[in-house]
Amino acid sequence: MLDAFSRTVVSADAKGAVIGSEELADLRKYVADANKRIDATLAITQNVSCIAADAVAGMVCENTGLTQPGGHCYPTRRMAACLRDGEIILRYVSYALLAGDPSVLEDRCLNGLKETYLALGVPTSNAVRAVEIMKIATVAIMTETNTGRKMFKGINSGSGAQCQDIASEAASYFDLVIEALK
Amino acid sequence: MKSAVTTVVSAADAAGRFPSMSDFESVKGSFDRAKARLEAAEKLASCLDKFTNLAVDAVYQTGSYEQANKDKCVRDIHHYLRLINYCLVTGGTGPLDDWGISGMREIIRIQLLPTAAYIEAFIFIRDEIKINDVMGQQAETEFKGLLDYLINALA
Repeated sequence: MLDAFSRTVVSADAKGAVIGSEELADLRKYVADANKRIDATLAITQNVSCIAADAVAGMVCENTGLTQPGGHCYPTRRMAACLRDGEIILRYVSYALLAGDPSVLEDRCLNGLKETYLALGVPTSNAVRAVEIMKIATVAIMTETNTGRKMFKGINSGSGAQCQDIASEAASYFDLVIEALK
Repeated sequence: MKSAVTTVVSAADAAGRFPSMSDFESVKGSFDRAKARLEAAEKLASCLDKFTNLAVDAVYQTGSYEQANKDKCVRDIHHYLRLINYCLVTGGTGPLDDWGISGMREIIRIQLLPTAAYIEAFIFIRDEIKINDVMGQQAETEFKGLLDYLINALA
């Protein structure tokens, strides 16, 4: 597993090069943005159940056959598995966001996920839709642009508007999940 | 590779839980210390060749030797200092452990290399070179801590 620091080290070592000022500039930004990063991660961890439940509900609403007998979210045991997986994906996205590097998400969550779903008969197109909704919801909560109840307050960084860059980074991790399932 | 953040994430993942408040505290603590070590890494990168040459010259100043041996010594000291540069960036001893120390004893034993010269060179860098001239106090402490770590591993 890598983070922003060790990613720099691994790519420098591949060239046998010393890490100088140029490469350190990016890392200094990572360090300087620590508060925003922690806030953005909190936006996920404080709203996990809500994000996952909304996404799965949205997925079912768009495709009501899922919860009917014969559907993939029937009976409730399978629906529960779906909610659980939504939370697991959010957990790995939160790790990747904190580390500033997607390796933990790729190695421990996405590697073999599609094969597992295919073997279990989980329809990946529906899973992709749920992840898309989670991505939209997460970005909205992080940047405080969600409508209705305010779900997250930037404790360290001041406000969600400060978390714009980090939110796009989080979106890129969700995109990795979507790519892996397609 | 081990660093402050990956250690926290590994522990959280092993327990299957989300990063907690204390995890954030520990990550934040490591970021607070990051400034000094990034400075040390940057300054070491710019002085790496100079430090290497000063140390090797000091080790080889007496006695007769073959130039080829000295060149190899330069190469190795440079290699270890590069790994220290990496350790300063990651904030842990991972790069030294993984790429410089593990397996080192076996290589030294098989090739009958004397480690004394390396130890002497790193002690020279630690004690004789005025590191203070190129980097701040805290950065120097970070750098010397890793030199000590390496010296102990070689001894």
